[in-house]
Parts: sequence; structure tokens; C-alpha cells
Amino acid sequence: MQKNIQYKGIVIGGSAGSFSLVSKILSQIKDDFKYPIILCMHRLKHIRSGLVEGLNLKSNLPVVEPYDKQKIEGGKVYLAPSNYHMFVEFDATVSLSAEDVLNHSRPSIDYTFSSAATSFRNKMVGILLTGANKDGAQGIFEVHTKQGYTIVQDPNTCDVDTMTKSALQLFSPNQVLTPEEIVVFLNNL
Amino acid sequence: MAEINFKEFLEELKKHTPYNFCDYSDNSIQRRIDKVLKEHNLQIDELLAKTKSEPEFVEQLVDDITVNTTELFRNKETWEYLYNKVIPGLKSKTNINIWHAGCSTGQEVYSNLILFNELDLLDKVKVVASDINKKVIRSAKLGEYDYKFNAQYIEVFNELWNGLKTNPKPFEHYFNIDEDHDKIIAKDFIKKIPKFIKHDLVVEDIPFYQKFDIIFCRNVLIYFNPELQLKIVRKFFDKLHDGGVLILGTHEALHGFFKTRFVKHGMVYTKSNTFHLKYK
Repeated sequence: MQKNIQYKGIVIGGSAGSFSLVSKILSQIKDDFKYPIILCMHRLKHIRSGLVEGLNLKSNLPVVEPYDKQKIEGGKVYLAPSNYHMFVEFDATVSLSAEDVLNHSRPSIDYTFSSAATSFRNKMVGILLTGANKDGAQGIFEVHTKQGYTIVQDPNTCDVDTMTKSALQLFSPNQVLTPEEIVVFLNNL
Repeated sequence: MAEINFKEFLEELKKHTPYNFCDYSDNSIQRRIDKVLKEHNLQIDELLAKTKSEPEFVEQLVDDITVNTTELFRNKETWEYLYNKVIPGLKSKTNINIWHAGCSTGQEVYSNLILFNELDLLDKVKVVASDINKKVIRSAKLGEYDYKFNAQYIEVFNELWNGLKTNPKPFEHYFNIDEDHDKIIAKDFIKKIPKFIKHDLVVEDIPFYQKFDIIFCRNVLIYFNPELQLKIVRKFFDKLHDGGVLILGTHEALHGFFKTRFVKHGMVYTKSNTFHLKYK
């Protein structure tokens, strides 16, 4: 891990089942964590509220569902709002889109990873967590091809390993880590 | 021919077509163009050549790069607020003017008309609805939607009325349901009200002389960069009556100067004559 890199963002993707894992990571992250965390989780379409409140209860960092063109700031967690795709723009703002579902998902993890990879290139870390859908695999692969640092959760520690295994078939990430190791990794950035 | 980038492509497109996508959000417009390239198996310079030689292809391109997602009664809380607060406040007017800017296939136009009918105000309402995309305007006029896809929205419709009113008219009062052909079709009494027109918010002047009580512009501004957003919001502001409302999508926000000129309630923004420096 290159200690001297100033990252523009940490992008995390996981499917609906990753809620408890994401809460655990956010509850153990140090409260002076300096990078923005951009979080895309699959969500159930008609359950609009609850997720951001649930995460905020546990998280050491404030979790927001951003508005379109909101500035991305360090030490905050940006959760893709229900029914929107979330993209990272070149000027480090969030832009939202209501376009078609991708891989049956809106938000789609592939879109968030791929736009972050385009905007942040080697100045980002992409982390792919447990999930039951292949959405996310292609996206984190793009992070890898654009020289971003990539971490895939160890499939042996995943509730459902479809997402992480699809990613591992595409490329070899910088690290394959357990949830505990992901927390340590983030806190050492 | 040297490979051009997507910005150069958009500049060229602006020169020889009626459309200007230069001020759309970079990342999003680039992705939409990439998608078109993939679908048509073209390089970007080939795409450009095609838009020059085949004017009808330009309309197809507009259809491909614009986003047309819309639903009946999307975001229940907006319709509740309209029903409880906004529309009752317009009761005493002789005419109530409404504009759906970026109406797509028209579901929200019909959703709104249903509210007006339930409040016995249908005879006062004048509705215009516009979109950049010819194709969606045609389908908005038809008022025909897939039944299966919309079945969940019929539930949303029922849920909405259960919360608002004891004796709403049933969904079938407003739509014919044709399960055999998997269609729901808006009924004529509601379909004859709106005037649907093709209009591009970005390059054309606003073609309406009247001011509006309600302007819907949901999930349209998100595709524009902040400067273009501001330009369009200024047009809306000028076209609203004092106290008129602008309705945006759930995660859209006003930026810059105009956020001081509207009072925000959820996604409903009320035009105000005073500045709101404490806007949050």
C-alpha cells in the first residue's frame, strides 16, 4: 500500500445483504478518517427510508444521501439514494441519474465504481463486498484498469459470494481481505 | 480522421443539429454516448458522420442519450403535499396553469390530473407538457402504458388515496385496463386536457406566454451541469406566479442564487418575493 497517496475517495459497493457488514465497518472506522467514503448498496425499491438512518446509528462518520451536484467532502459517507444511480463527476461532486436499471439495479454499483474510476483514476480505493448479483464486478475491474487500488472481500467470509467471485474471475485485486482486515486497512490509510 | 473526444463530438453536434448537449453533466453524457457507440457498434467519428448524413438518426440519438424514466405517482409524499397544501390554495383562481417540463411519456401529467379531478378542479386546469424527445411526446399523447409494469403503481395509487381520502374514485375511473394486451389507457376525459409539445429547454425560448402556478421538472436538471441548471431555474422562476411552485425530483436541489428565492418543502419549492438567507 502506497502510504504517500492522497486519495480522493474510497468507494464501497455491496448488495442489499451487506447492510450489517457495512454498519460494522462504519462503526469501527476511526472518527477522524479523512477521506470521503462513497457507498453504493443495492436497496429494495419501495423501501425508501431507513437505510441511511440505520447506518447513521452505527457509523462514526456522518452518512448522507446526497443531492445532485453535492460536493464530496472528506470524513463523510455518501450513500447512493434509493432509485437513483450515483456517479462521481470530475469536479468531485456527485451526480444522480434516473436512467434504466443496470444489472437489475438502481443504484447500480458498476456505475458508481466506473464513474469514480474515470474521475479519480489512481487516487481511489475500490472495495467490493458480499452480494448476490454480479453488479459491481465489472465496475471494480474498471477501477483496477484505471490504476485504482482494489480490495475484494474474501468470498469465504461473504454471506453470498456471487458478487466477489464474479470480480475475482475478471482480475486479481490488490488485496482479498476479511471484514476485520478491511477495517484495519481503512484505519491505516 | 483523428479520434475526437466526446466534448468535440458535442460541439460538432451543436453546429449541425438543433440540439446542444455541451452543458450536460460530463460523466453522464459521456456514458450515454459510449452506450450509443456500443449499441450501434460505431466509433465516435463514425457516429458524428452519421448524424450529419442522416437527419432522422439525430432524433434516434436524442432518444438514446436522454433519459425517459417516469412512473405514475412516483414519490407518494409529493402528491400528498400537492393534494393537501398546494392545490387547495389554488381553488379560488379562475384558471390554474400547469407546466410539466420534461414530461417524458406523461405518467405524471395524468397523476396530477387525477388529483385535480379528485378535488373537483378539473375544469379550471390548463396543462402544457413538453419534452425534447419526439418519441416520448407521441406516447404521452396516447396515454398507453404497460399494465404489468404499472401494476405496482396501481397499488401506490390505492395507498395514496387510502391515506388521503375516504371515497376516492377507483383506478378504473381514470384508466381502461386491458389485461389481454397488457395495457392501461388513460380515459378521454383526462387525456384531452394536456397539450403535449416537443420543446428543448436548453436551446429554445419558452413558448408559453402565460405564467404558471405549478411547474413540474422532475429528474431533468440532474443531467445538466450547475451553470445550465441555474440558467433553466432562472427561466422557471420568471415563468412562475408569486407563490407558484416548482417541483423537482427527490434528490435534486437548487444551487446558487435561486435557492434564496424559493421556500423549500421536501421537493416542492415555492417562489417567494423575499430573500431567504437562512435557507438550509
